Amino acid sequence: MTLPEPVSTMAGPLRMDYTYVAGAGRSVFLRGLAERRVLARRCPGCGQVYVPAPELCSRCLRPVGPPFELDGRGVVSTFCVVNFPFPGQVHEPPYVVAHIRLDGADTRLMHLVREVAPDRVHIGLRVEPVWVPDEELAASATSIRHYRPEGPADA
Amino acid sequence: MREVAVVSFAQSPCVPADREHDMAEMVQPVIRQALDAAGLGRDDVDFFASGSHDFYEGRTFSYIESLDAVGAWPPISESHVEMDAAWALAEAWTWLQLGEGDVALVYGIGRGSLAADLDQVLPAQLDPYLLAPLRPHRDALAGLQASAMVDAGLTSERQLAEVVARCLAAAIANPAAQRSGRVSVDDLLARPYVASPLRADDVAPPGDAAAVIVLAAGPAARRAAGRPAWVRGLDHRMETHYPGVRDLTGAGSARMAAARAAELAGFAAAEAQVAELHTEYSHQEPLLVTALGLAGAAVNPSGGPLAGRPATATGLVRIGEAARRIMNGEAERAVAHATNGPALQHNLVCLLAADPA
Repeated sequence: MTLPEPVSTMAGPLRMDYTYVAGAGRSVFLRGLAERRVLARRCPGCGQVYVPAPELCSRCLRPVGPPFELDGRGVVSTFCVVNFPFPGQVHEPPYVVAHIRLDGADTRLMHLVREVAPDRVHIGLRVEPVWVPDEELAASATSIRHYRPEGPADA
Repeated sequence: MREVAVVSFAQSPCVPADREHDMAEMVQPVIRQALDAAGLGRDDVDFFASGSHDFYEGRTFSYIESLDAVGAWPPISESHVEMDAAWALAEAWTWLQLGEGDVALVYGIGRGSLAADLDQVLPAQLDPYLLAPLRPHRDALAGLQASAMVDAGLTSERQLAEVVARCLAAAIANPAAQRSGRVSVDDLLARPYVASPLRADDVAPPGDAAAVIVLAAGPAARRAAGRPAWVRGLDHRMETHYPGVRDLTGAGSARMAAARAAELAGFAAAEAQVAELHTEYSHQEPLLVTALGLAGAAVNPSGGPLAGRPATATGLVRIGEAARRIMNGEAERAVAHATNGPALQHNLVCLLAADPA
């Protein structure tokens, strides 16, 4: 017996447009980035300083305190080197994805570390943010283009 | 069976679109309100169960965000259903039957407003070969059901308008209602069809809200509420996927769930004084009244979903509203109904009573 020709494709286009609601907490952080400011918030219950901060401390379930500015510098607390190409990739591998503990913060901010060979990155490396030009600033994590090894303090 | 009761219920107001809060921000004040009313703290909760749906959120594992509202650290015992939160309550009730703990908190987050156009999203729940490519309007399947009911003499357009008018009037007293008011049946009948015989007011208005129910077992329930609403029977049944196979005028799965719930409860929905039904469309009220065998119950005294349908919180609100009428002494027995899927495909029936078994 012969099987019928397999049907290999069937058109079933699904396009779905959504409105995303960042929420009050995330919005404070994102709007700060649009002004070239890294904003932190402290939980009045446990004292944890969040960057980025939610509206509610997930440990104490209390609203966190008012935002205050950090200088954005910090230290690599863990990192990995992405070597794998994948569809939709924005950066040419290899590149470094890192958790950065900002000075004055208790949580870790995830970002890219560039302007340094991946094999020179290490846990404990001090890094600083590289911002996009003013005209590209937006309420987005990409307002910080990436982090790079910290230059001299007066640079 | 272990005696388990609803001891607290709270919800946020149904709004057409909440553009301020993320999931945790939406539900956290409601959790606090529900726990405070029961004199409980977060540490008293042994199990958390929640319901929401990624299709409404537009991203995967979206509910994880809401765990920040219950305190995900240190790790808690929790579960989630990708459906109406009434099914999370069913899971929590079952979990309490295991005897592993005494208090469970159930929350539903419903956001019907995030999808720019629900007609883009809702076809995804249909059969991808036979139904979705037809791109029926989101209310078309309900229209088929309503039309079949009218043709069978089970309802009429005037009766549907009467359901709408009664629900919207009842909702005036409900501070959480999204839509309410006094409107005449003739005015409603003069409005245009959306999917005939259904008009815009026959369709529950989608929107956003969060709802929380606290369940407690035995002595813990008596400590938490002066008059707990005991869950005496609970069951849910689902019908086949292809709507053309179903008798759309009968809600057979609702009928079976009601029969099984009655068996567990020792009383039937016919004995309930209050019925809160998950009617996403007006015609589903007469359908469910018949399927559940209601006899004289006040139906949707809160206004029901026709006054506000916060997606996956809608069914949980029905259980909360039914329980509230017992907790505040208005009723001795109540029935709540919840549904998932198109045209009442999957139905849950919960029987509640002021007295334990």
